[in-house]
Amino acid sequence: MIRAFSFASFVAFLLSCSPPSEAPAPEAATPSSQLRVFVVNEPLRYFAARIGGSHVEVVLPAPSGIDPSTWTPDAETVAAYQSADLVLRSGAGYADWVDLVSLPAARVVDTSAAYRQRVRQRAGTVTHQHGPGGEHSHGELAHTTWLDLQLAILQAAAVADTLVRARPEHESAFRSELAALVADLEALDGQLAAAAQELADAPLLFSHPVYDYLIGRYALNARSLDWEPDAPPTPRQWRDLAAVVHEHPARWLLWEAEPLTEIERALRERGIESVVFDPCGGTPEDGDFLGVMKANVARFEAASTASE
Amino acid sequence: MSGPLYLAWRYLAHHRAKTAILVTAITLIAFLPIGLNQLVSESGRQLAARAQSTPLLVGERGSRLDLVLASLYFASDPPAAMRYAEAERVDASELATAIPLHVRFRARGHSVVGTTLEYLEFRGLRVAAGRPMAVLGECLVGAAAARDLELSPGDTVTTSPETVFDLAGTYRLRMRVAGVLAPSHTPDDEAIFVDVKTAWVIEGLGHGHQDVASPGASSAVLKREDDRVTANASLVEYNEITPENLASFHFHGDLAEHPVSAVLAVPRDEKSRVLLLGRYTAPDEAVQIVEPAAVMDDLLATVFTVRRYVLAAIALVSAATLVVAGLVFLLSVRLRRREIETLHKLGAARSHVALMLAAEVVAVIAVAGALAGVLTWLSGSFGGAAIRAFLLS
Repeated sequence: MIRAFSFASFVAFLLSCSPPSEAPAPEAATPSSQLRVFVVNEPLRYFAARIGGSHVEVVLPAPSGIDPSTWTPDAETVAAYQSADLVLRSGAGYADWVDLVSLPAARVVDTSAAYRQRVRQRAGTVTHQHGPGGEHSHGELAHTTWLDLQLAILQAAAVADTLVRARPEHESAFRSELAALVADLEALDGQLAAAAQELADAPLLFSHPVYDYLIGRYALNARSLDWEPDAPPTPRQWRDLAAVVHEHPARWLLWEAEPLTEIERALRERGIESVVFDPCGGTPEDGDFLGVMKANVARFEAASTASE
Repeated sequence: MSGPLYLAWRYLAHHRAKTAILVTAITLIAFLPIGLNQLVSESGRQLAARAQSTPLLVGERGSRLDLVLASLYFASDPPAAMRYAEAERVDASELATAIPLHVRFRARGHSVVGTTLEYLEFRGLRVAAGRPMAVLGECLVGAAAARDLELSPGDTVTTSPETVFDLAGTYRLRMRVAGVLAPSHTPDDEAIFVDVKTAWVIEGLGHGHQDVASPGASSAVLKREDDRVTANASLVEYNEITPENLASFHFHGDLAEHPVSAVLAVPRDEKSRVLLLGRYTAPDEAVQIVEPAAVMDDLLATVFTVRRYVLAAIALVSAATLVVAGLVFLLSVRLRRREIETLHKLGAARSHVALMLAAEVVAVIAVAGALAGVLTWLSGSFGGAAIRAFLLS
């Protein structure tokens, strides 16, 4: 009897065991109505926000006041990029940290594809060699492509195309906003071209070698220094400036940001006036990319008029 | 009526050893063909499932089976490498999504699989602890590998040299564990996943070092001319990627020329699949495109052919066993002649004696049949898990 009961219990135990269930399938993502777009600089943030309007949420994680071209996100910020519906790259080696992180390739868009052949090598690139591989440099392409407003228009069009592919139901709204943005950029381009024409071949100086595209687009007669607006130049830098000005008698020095008063005064004593032309790669403290560029153009026009 | 049955039961209970042997033999000849068929079918189904879930695989021309085994099961030697440009070619076709695979390296016995985040989404892999890899040098560990190596997020694991005769041939990289995957009961549980760019760093195609243009690296500079700097062998190269040195890492040459083992192509639809297959038919094509399901079907056809021979052998053995069992019963009846005569003298009818003998046979067969049924149910219910453990071990 006991043996029979034990056998029956054993059989009941076996019958109560169920085969291992399959691992649950991952939950399907629910598409949200608002597209979450992560970008790498302010021009892209402005283009995406202006074209996308209320249909997009645009995020530039680089802190305000930091140049995104030299910023590297930490792992947690990269994880935030991974969660984006779209990641817009500026191309031309800008934010080359993207090559050092893991992002979903299908959602990363290089908005410079249309003008890749027009990307310039930055002047004064340092190459180095170690081992048998020969010379190479580390990502020294000139990357402020938006300073050539024609390239900026192409980039804005690429942003629009990307948003349309992601949200085709809003194509007419995106195209309409793009047209308005292009009109604004064309107007600025026209103003800059006219101002450059007034300058003719007047020599100019730029504080930093980040104006390659501005110089190329408007055929400016320019030389670049390597000065910081918030760092008084060293005696050697003053001597180098004197040597440059001896061959290239510039009256204007264009800065990325407002220089220290003492620098401005010292330059004025040497016959050089300071003008701010902010490349606006990062989020400005006030306004947006278009506002900063309008202010840049206004100051540039004033300088060209004063140089006559 | 109950008399003969009682006597049959008492006889079997008294001769336990003989009864157990007969029950075991009949159970085995009843269960073995069914169990073998179940296990082989389940093994084939599980092997085929992974192949069927992988639409297309692009790789260097060569053995299709090696390509499939290395890319899907991370078994066998890695296939010959092909250019990353082939992944870009698949993407550019707009017919499929390309997921590169780099399976050359290992870390403490586990395959280091270089790929992209799309692989995790494609295979439905879920992160159980931590997060996916985010930056160069991070890895995501499969559940079984994490258990085996006792790894959890925040730990480190170093890649293994490919051969003791070429210790400096590849870049031994100490990788940081970003996360651990949930069990998927697939070969992914045994793998360590990294970004394909991290695999290139291990291969020595990318590295980080001191900035040769900085004053601090002056001792590492052999020659400096204008904008050209030549470094000497003392230039420090990093073997671990940290937040501090991440920005110094870079790759040399065109990334399109960098090597991958295979490209997993996920077509957008059936038409795209057919079109993509057609793009690799040129005789001078350097790479091949295979359908893993077809390759595994060929392999399993061979396995099932062997199974038929095994089943035939089992059938012969079973027939012989039944013959022997029948002989045992007949010999048993002959040996019990005096017992049967005694029963007749006690007044038992011939039919009752025959019923008793028949009940003994039926009881043995019934118990054996029941046990075979239980074993069949067990193998059907738990055989899959046992096969997964066996295949993954």
